[in-house]
Amino acid sequence: MEVLQVDGVKKSFRGDMSFTSREILHGVSFSAGTGEILGFLGPNGAGKTTTIKIILNLLRPDSGSVQIFGKTLGNRSVMKKVGYLPENPYIYPHLTLSEFLRFCADLSDVPVKEVASRVRKAISLLGLEEHANRRTKGFSKGMLQRAGIAQAILHDPDLLILDEPFSGLDPIGRKTVKDILIDLKGRGKTIFFSSHILPDMEALCDRACIIKDGIVIRTVGLADVFRMGEGMVEITARGCLVSELEPVSRYMDTVAVNGEEIFLVVKKRELVRTVVQHLYNRGAEVLNVSNHHPSLEDVFLDEINEKRTEERKGAEKKHYAGHATGGGKQ
Amino acid sequence: MRRIYSVALNTFRESVREKLLYLVIIYAMILLVSVFILSPLSVGVAKGKIVTDVGLAGISILGILTAIIVGSNLVHKEVDKKAVLMVLARPVSRAEYVIGKFAGVSLSLAVLIGLMTAVLVVMMLLGGAALTPAVFLAVGLSIVEIGLIIAVMIFFSTFTTPILTSFFTICIFVAGTLSGDLRLFAQKFGGKAMNYVMDILYFTLPNLKVFNLRHEAVHGLRYSASEILLPAAYGIVYTCAMLYFAWLVFRRREFS
Repeated sequence: MEVLQVDGVKKSFRGDMSFTSREILHGVSFSAGTGEILGFLGPNGAGKTTTIKIILNLLRPDSGSVQIFGKTLGNRSVMKKVGYLPENPYIYPHLTLSEFLRFCADLSDVPVKEVASRVRKAISLLGLEEHANRRTKGFSKGMLQRAGIAQAILHDPDLLILDEPFSGLDPIGRKTVKDILIDLKGRGKTIFFSSHILPDMEALCDRACIIKDGIVIRTVGLADVFRMGEGMVEITARGCLVSELEPVSRYMDTVAVNGEEIFLVVKKRELVRTVVQHLYNRGAEVLNVSNHHPSLEDVFLDEINEKRTEERKGAEKKHYAGHATGGGKQ
Repeated sequence: MRRIYSVALNTFRESVREKLLYLVIIYAMILLVSVFILSPLSVGVAKGKIVTDVGLAGISILGILTAIIVGSNLVHKEVDKKAVLMVLARPVSRAEYVIGKFAGVSLSLAVLIGLMTAVLVVMMLLGGAALTPAVFLAVGLSIVEIGLIIAVMIFFSTFTTPILTSFFTICIFVAGTLSGDLRLFAQKFGGKAMNYVMDILYFTLPNLKVFNLRHEAVHGLRYSASEILLPAAYGIVYTCAMLYFAWLVFRRREFS
């Protein structure tokens, strides 16, 4: 059974001083099944948060439908099974962390007898024991984010909807949250989250749903992403100009330049010898030859059609399409 | 019921922790000034009457002002800071949220008024004033009046800014206090159109004058049970109506 089903959701907004409305979502559709982690990926302003708010009945769609556990929006019994973390959560500054979580537990209909133990458990899971009785007014951004995640998982929801859960977290916090999400998935919970941190998404997701300009342009399984590079080989070399690679360009999927180094992805393993030989003939030094593993970032940037970011050193890379095949990346 | 209680408790805690109850100190100081400075200057008026008069008026005015200050920001702040997202993404209905907010602010004001009343009782005993049931009934009607004002504020705060909420509520408070007098004035001196307008205002705006039992309490005048029960019932019905309208607006509200 699909836990979350979004079908053809459209949404328009009217500006404060405007009589005309602008469509933000143009028919968003996707679904998430039991025990699945579905990532929601897209550039700023793509419509991720708007979609999440529609799922939670905080915004009304112009058309289309959302079903959670087979039921329509606003059903109270369904909302008991949903945990939500908004982007940059606001935790009431006048409350201590324990008081805030107790408040959330009461609102989620957690049985009265279980409230104290659930609150303790959530605080402990997020590593906030020392701050349990402190007012949240003095909390750092990372601590507020942890508190936000604690309130989302407190009532043991079957569907967790998280908007940028790794925002503001330090590496330890990110690891903690990742472990919690993996544990929840292991217990059959469905998790739907948006994030800009692609390696985290890659490490967690079963599938990623890519949204751009208010429409889902691709839903890709992470296993498929890894398979995309099967048989391809990466070569790093230096001492050679890109123009000198013209004779072997048809063998390559990607050519990128980073300073003095050239990064090549050869389409097939059996072509590697030819390319390496060509590099040696041109007087280039081959630094590394290894199997190619495309990342979610590669897929995302391909889809979004933006410049690719350097994988190894964070420097900007330039791409050009393979001349012979007319394929490749821009 | 548990969810309404939780929203109310959270609102109450916020008010208390933002030092709302410190207003009792201001109130006590006003009463002390009335006892020790105004009383010697008032010829022919018993000290006890001045304390009672100033005390009851102080409770009403300070209560209304506090309600406006606290209530104006009530819903708007939660929407603006997006705290409302975490509440409404749970099995909490919009009606429960509105009622919870109303109950929380009302509880805060009731505690504040309770403390002010305790100060007033002490001052009345010190000033030699007669402590009659009318004093407590006058305070009770003030609480009903303030509850109505809070409901009006919640209605406005579901769709407008804190400044406009305060402005509209103050307008309604002033108009509601004067609507009876203005209607009489229009009946005596105004034309047909003016009469018609004033009748509409009189019957639609809350008539806040009916909650004033201070004159009877200060001067020990007789009053009937209907002078207490009818205004109380009127206040409760009007408050419920305002909360209903607040819910009508809030249930359609989107949180972008």
